[in-house]
Order: sequence, then structure tokens, then C-alpha cells
Amino acid sequence: MENDNSNTDSRRWFLKTISSGGILAATGLALGTFTSCKEKSAEKTTLLTTDGKLVQVPNSEIEAMEHLHQGAPPMEAREGISGKKWVMVVDLSKCKNARKCVDLCDKHHNLTPDRPYIKVYEMKDNEKSSPYWMPKKCFHCDNPPCVKVCPVGATYKRTDGIVLIDNERCIGCRFCMAACPYSARVFNWGDPPEGKLDLPYSPETSLPSKVGTVAKCDFCPDMLRQNKLPHCVPACPNGVIYFGDEIDDTVTNGEETVRLSTLLKDKAGYRYLEELGTKPRVYYLPPVDRLFPFEKNTEENSES
Amino acid sequence: MNTVIQKEQEYRTKRGKALLGHTVNTSLKYKLWIAFLLLVIFIGGYAYYRQLKFGLVVTAMRDYTSWGIYISNFVFFVAISLVGSLISSILKLNKNDWSRPLTRVSEIIAVAAIICAAVIIIVDMGRPDRFFYVIMHLRIQSPIIWDVIIISTYLVISLLLLYLSLLPDIALCRDRLTAIPKWKKWLYRIMSINWSNHPKQIETHHKITKLLAISVLPVAFAIHTVTSWLFATTWRPGWDSTNLGPYFVSGAFMAGAAVIIVAMYLIRIHLKLKKYITELHFEKMGRLLVLLSLVYLYFNINEYLGPAFKMVGVEGEHITELFTGKYAPMYWFVQLGGLILPIVFLIFKPFRKPLPIFIISIFVVLGAWFKRFLIVIPSLQHPYLPIQDVDESYLHYVPTWEEWAITMSSFAWFLLIITVLIKLFPVIPVLKEKIDSETINKLNVFKNEKS
Amino acid sequence: MRNHNYLNIDVLKLLILISLVAFNSSILYGQDEEVMEDAILSISFSEDNDTKIITTKAVDQSGMPIEDLELYYFVKRTFSLLPIGDSFNSTDENGIIKVEFPIDLPGDTIGNVNIVVKLIESDIYNDQTLEITKNWGIPTVIEDQETEKRSLWAAAANAPISLIVIVSSMIIAIWYIIFYIIFKLYKISKIKPLIN
Repeated sequence: MENDNSNTDSRRWFLKTISSGGILAATGLALGTFTSCKEKSAEKTTLLTTDGKLVQVPNSEIEAMEHLHQGAPPMEAREGISGKKWVMVVDLSKCKNARKCVDLCDKHHNLTPDRPYIKVYEMKDNEKSSPYWMPKKCFHCDNPPCVKVCPVGATYKRTDGIVLIDNERCIGCRFCMAACPYSARVFNWGDPPEGKLDLPYSPETSLPSKVGTVAKCDFCPDMLRQNKLPHCVPACPNGVIYFGDEIDDTVTNGEETVRLSTLLKDKAGYRYLEELGTKPRVYYLPPVDRLFPFEKNTEENSES
Repeated sequence: MNTVIQKEQEYRTKRGKALLGHTVNTSLKYKLWIAFLLLVIFIGGYAYYRQLKFGLVVTAMRDYTSWGIYISNFVFFVAISLVGSLISSILKLNKNDWSRPLTRVSEIIAVAAIICAAVIIIVDMGRPDRFFYVIMHLRIQSPIIWDVIIISTYLVISLLLLYLSLLPDIALCRDRLTAIPKWKKWLYRIMSINWSNHPKQIETHHKITKLLAISVLPVAFAIHTVTSWLFATTWRPGWDSTNLGPYFVSGAFMAGAAVIIVAMYLIRIHLKLKKYITELHFEKMGRLLVLLSLVYLYFNINEYLGPAFKMVGVEGEHITELFTGKYAPMYWFVQLGGLILPIVFLIFKPFRKPLPIFIISIFVVLGAWFKRFLIVIPSLQHPYLPIQDVDESYLHYVPTWEEWAITMSSFAWFLLIITVLIKLFPVIPVLKEKIDSETINKLNVFKNEKS
Repeated sequence: MRNHNYLNIDVLKLLILISLVAFNSSILYGQDEEVMEDAILSISFSEDNDTKIITTKAVDQSGMPIEDLELYYFVKRTFSLLPIGDSFNSTDENGIIKVEFPIDLPGDTIGNVNIVVKLIESDIYNDQTLEITKNWGIPTVIEDQETEKRSLWAAAANAPISLIVIVSSMIIAIWYIIFYIIFKLYKISKIKPLIN
């Protein structure tokens, strides 16, 4: 049993090193793990930097770099992640408005609670049916109305399916906001409330936000580049949000991994307002056989 | 002092004196008017300075009502700018000679309106510092780009339209106004580009005027149709309509005709041109306004009947809000006071007298402005998904003083441009534009001499 | 010890590769431990027209088949492991499990999938993980995925040809007229006045 523990520990430790070295070359990673394997984490690690130099870095600093991790700069961010088609499935039968996805999204995108990227709507399809919660992000449509209307190409569709905004290009005409039928976009009407963030700008993190430009849910491509799930997915205590690669035909909510096609077939997955022809990349599973009763009290709900 | 100067001018004819007089006489009323406009512009400038400093947060626009009175005002000015083509092109091509004294003023209004439309759209931008990205990173797929192209084209065309009809009159000012400041002499000399009433000049001028009158038509239709596409290319209730192009164009013609009538009345009173802008003109413009209003009424019925009959989802909610909800008072003021009642009144001849038609036209113009408010704002407040989970300020839209100040200053600019142009150039064409037999003879003689 | 572990996996992969060439042959994997025993798992693959079967035989150190040993089967995906087979897969009295591999599962561009077999939480046997690359997936055709097609939502450079042609011809037509008129005005300015 003891042995078992140490085994999982080592695996965890290994994963941690992978994530912390995210911006460093993969070769450096392998090398680093080899040389540092028997050392304690307080000691130095040899890593290969992107420009081919071997450097000794204290492990504590590698940790620090994880928090400073940046998405790609504006021009590179226009390239999608090769060979991927990101897709999201939201299981409405499991959502009880715990709002952890909203909180974590707000935290990572430096948003104030009054204008989140993720909104959880209280929906009721008709008078007789019962209400349900519907988390909504950007749908990253394959026929995106917002991208079509952008006069300067500030918002664009990447090859991996993600619709991003370049806040250094955006002129603030807000045509995309008018065009989006899902009200997915928010505008930086004034200076960002969090003040100045001392980071180089990246459309992949939407940070730091810029006054007079549009913003929205970005599917966290900075995380995807590190092979990690977007922040909202593991945040959900009820496993509502599934995320994955359509080409893989697999989605995961962090715990459960299922085939996308099977999930959509078995649970009658649908896309919101399919008739508009926007071809969203976010699917919903209908709110049938609910896990939770519908409670309005959000404080109660957030206790998972 | 004024009278002294007048004696020194070489008006030559009575017509010349009447029509050129206003370019040299400066009254106190005029100075006060300019000062008032400048004050409004200054207040608007301060509001815009605040907007530049703090961002669009100084407006009442928020994530749902993401377009406000800036955009509705923009649509209004685009609509007004269509009058230039209506009067100087359509009526001219139809050989409606009665409308000749109105061409200049309609062209001046068109120029002023299109300049204001172009400026107000920059005011609406969140990042005006990046305006040139529109050219640097131009995406031809975007209807905004189509609008930018067509607006700049129309701006040039309406300037040309004004300039071409002015050219002989500028030369006239150069020749006859001798007792004027140096800069004004210089201006007339430069702008008259050696115009000497040479038969060949007249012939070329006549040719290109006709060419321009024809080519302004598709551009004028396009400018408002493309503006309607800014809305029609989205899924918003009230915008998602195939009817929107002709609806906008017909509305623009109606509003434009009303603006002309208002301008006619004010010019006639203040520049003492009763002999040149006669009751007949009001009579004819009144008939034209009824005709254009009926066309607009027809498209209005088309625009609202379908959705009101079907009452589909958010489209139905939007219609209900207009008909009986929050926006009902404004909606019925616009439809009754700005469209139906003017038609009813103007059918009767006594209401086509200058003063009554002036008042009716003011209502039509007001209705046209608020109509554009109703086109832009309520649609945005009815998205497909419910408005939840947002700050309270996102739920409604009441324009802030900054927005009103900037909007008012756009009107002040509009009036200032018109006032200055009228001050510089005769507001009614002094020279006849037709090639008369005398000129043709002259030209023939000239040709024979050469060969 | 950890190094040793990784090394073993590499050797294992090599062995699997050899075994794949020989088709239907099996491989061995094992490791010495103190208290608990290592199970020896041999994996073989078979396929006919419409089924693909992963057969695993589990024997203990003495070569006796292990009955009722639970194994977990996965396919490696982008973020996580996708379970395949039934929810519980146990060896029969001969120590054999047969797990059906889904025939329509996408692999990489050449159809390779990484199959992961895990032995975990057994009371007698140590945890172990086997990873095998097998050419059983549907090759994914990345159809023009990396190059953007011409469309209304494409970048400026990939606007539809018809749109570019229509818009530019209209612009050229109207601006030709505008410049023609300006040129004519220039001509007008060059005409000398008639001297009467």
C-alpha cells in the first residue's frame, strides 16, 4: 500500500514538472526530469531553453513560471493548434448553478462579477416545463456571425475551431456584439477594474484587457497548448462541462472520459438555436433526469 | 456700413443683387446664431473629451444596448444626406424646372449631413485612435467596410455635385463682388478655376453635370441600403428583415424632403428670398412629401405586419414592446405624429402653405430621428437569451448628458456647415443652367472660327 | 527505481513492436517486488471483418493463470484516457480477457492509437500499466484543416473571389466616373476666355 502511494506521488510530481515547464522545449523537459529525478524539488533542475541553451533553474522558479504562463502573442495566436477541433458539451441535467465555472473563469480572466464571460441562465422552455440552469459561454461557431462582420479582422476563426479576439486590433465598433445572436460578447466600456496588469498581451488569455475593445470566452487556448483543460471544465464540482477534440471523438469533464459521438447520440445532444445555422461548437445535453432539484438559492447551490 | 459696401458691388441685375446679397451682408442675428452653434459644439467637444479620457463608460451603452443614439443619429444623418440626390438628381433628370431654386440648398444639406454621419461614426468607436486600421486591416467581407467605402464615395460625389452647380456662380461672385475681403476674393478666384462662360466650358460642364446626376443615383440608393445592411445582416428582432433596404431608403427620402422644406422656410424668412422660394415651391414640395410619406407608410406596414401577425419569440416580444410596452409612446408619436397625421394634413391644400407645412415638416423630421432610435435600441434589448446575471445598469438605456451633448453638437456642426456654405455661396443658383440658343450660336461660331 | 521504471516501458514498446510484426504473438512484462507479486500480462490482438479484439492473458510468477483479475482498458486521447470495453473486465478461469476495440474510433493521421491496459487496486498484484501503439484507429483525414478556405468569416486575404470582384468592379466604375469628372474640370480650367 505504501508503495502504491509513492507511485502515485511520483506520477503527480512528474505531471507537475510537465506543466511547469510548459513554455520550455519538450526536449528540455525530458532532460530535466531525467537529471532531477532523484533530487528533491527544492533543488535545481537542468532545462533546455527554447534557444537551445542548457540552464540550471531552481525548481521553485519553475513553479513561479507556471503562474506567469502566457498565451501566444497576437500574430502567433492566429494559428490554431495543429490537428485539433475543440468542442464542448454541457450537460444541463447536472447543472445546479454552483457557479464555480464562473468564479474560476472570472479569476483567470481578471473579470468582475458584473460582467462575466460565462453566464448561467435560468431557463424555462414553456409554462408547463420546469426551469433549469443553462451555463453559456462563447459557442465558437463554425459559421461565426461575429467574425463575418468584423471590419478589421480583430476577431477571427482559428483552424482549431476557436474564435478569438485580438484586442490590439479591435477598433471598438461593437458590430460583432450586435451580430452575435447568443450575447456572448462583452465590452470594456471603461478602464479594466483590476488596474494595469504587467503582462505582455495575448489574445489566448485575453489579458490584460484593453479599454474600448470587445472580449469574450476564449476556450483558454493557453491551457490547451499545455494539454490542459480550460479553467471552467475541472472547476465544475458536478462535471457538467465536457471538453475535448472533435477529431479525437472524445470529451472529458476531468473525471469521466466519453466518446463525443456516443454521448450526443445517447443523450440527444443539441446545439442552441440550431436553426440560425451558426454551427456552434458547444453542444447541450437536455435537462432530463436531473441530478439536482432546481433551487434558486445560489449560496446553497455552491456548496457541492 | 453694409449699405456702403452694397453700393460698391457690381450686382448688375436685380436678380443678382437679391441672390448675392446674403453672401456679403453680415447681421447681428447671424453672428449670434454662429456663436450659439459654436457654444453647442464646444459643450459637445468637452463631452467628447470626457469620453476619450474615460472610455465609452461615460455613455449609457452597455453590453446589451451596445449601440445607442450615436448610431441612430448616424443613420439619421445618412438618411438626410440622400436629399441631395433626390432634388438635384431625380427632379433635375425629370426636367422639373420648379425645383431648380431648391437644388443648391439640398446639395448643401447633403454635404453637411454626410460629413456629420462620417464623424459621428468615429465618435461611436471604442478606439478612435485605431481608425486607420479600417484601411490597414480592411476586411472586404464586413458590411462596415462596405459602408465606409460607400460613405466616402458619396461624400466625394455630393461635394462634386455641389461644386459643379456652384462653379458658374463662383465665377459670378469673383466677377461681381468687388468690395469683399481679400481672402474671399482669393477663395472665389481659386475655386472658379478660370471659368469664363466660354461656350466650350459650358458644354463640358453641362455634360459632366448630367453624368454626375445619373451616377449619383445608384450611389445614393446604395449608401442607405448598405447602412440598412449593418442591421439586416444580423439576427436581431426588427433588423432580421429583407424589407430593411427599401424601408430605409424610402424613410430617408421622406425625412430628406421634410428637411428641405424646413430649410426652405428658414432661408426664405432670414435671407428675404420670398420672391425666389415661392408658395408654389411649398405647394409642390408638400405634394412630393405626401407621395414619399405614402411610399414610406407602405414599407412601414410591410415591416411590422408580418412580425406582428406571427408574434414569433423575441420578435413578438420586440413588437409588443413597441406597440404597447415601454417604447409605445415614442412609437406612436413617430408613426402618428411623424407619418400618418402629416399625410392626412398635407392632402389638404391650406396645409401646404409655408407656415403649416413648415410645422408639419418639423414633426416629420423629429419623427424620423426618433424612428431611428426605435430601430436601433429596442432591437438590441431583445436578445434570444434572457438578460440575466448582469449589472443593473445593463437592463435599460437612458442616454447620458455626454451622449446628448455630443449628439446636439453634431446637429450644431450640421447647421454650422450649412450656414457657412450659404454665407460663402449664393444659396439659389444665379445663372441659368440650360444651354440657351445664344450660347449654342456662340459655340458654333467658335467652332467655325477654329476650323 | 523510477528511472528503471521508465526504461522498462521503452523496452516494452520495442517488444510490442516486434510482436506486432509477428501478428497475434504475445509479449511478457514483469518486475520484481517485495511483498506483492507482479502479474504477467500478455496481450494479443486479433481482428476479422467487423470486430477487433484485444485478448489479454494474465499469469502469475509461476505461470498459473489468474482468475478474476480486473483490468482496465483505455485509449489515449488529448486530455485523458478513454475507457473501452465493458465497465468491468475480469479474467476468466484461464486468465483470459477479451475486450472489443471500437471499430470506428479515430486514430492519428495514419490510424495509430495508443492502447493503455492498467492493472490497479488489486490486493495481490502490483499496479502496472502497459501502453501499446496499434494501427487500429480510423486514420483522420485533416481535410484542408490547416489552410483557411475562402469564406465570409475568413481573414481578409481569403475573402470570396466573387465578393472581391463585385465590390471592386463597383468601386472602379464609380471612381472612374469621379476621376473623369475631375479631369474634365481640369480641362475646363485650361480653356482661355474668349476675347470679344
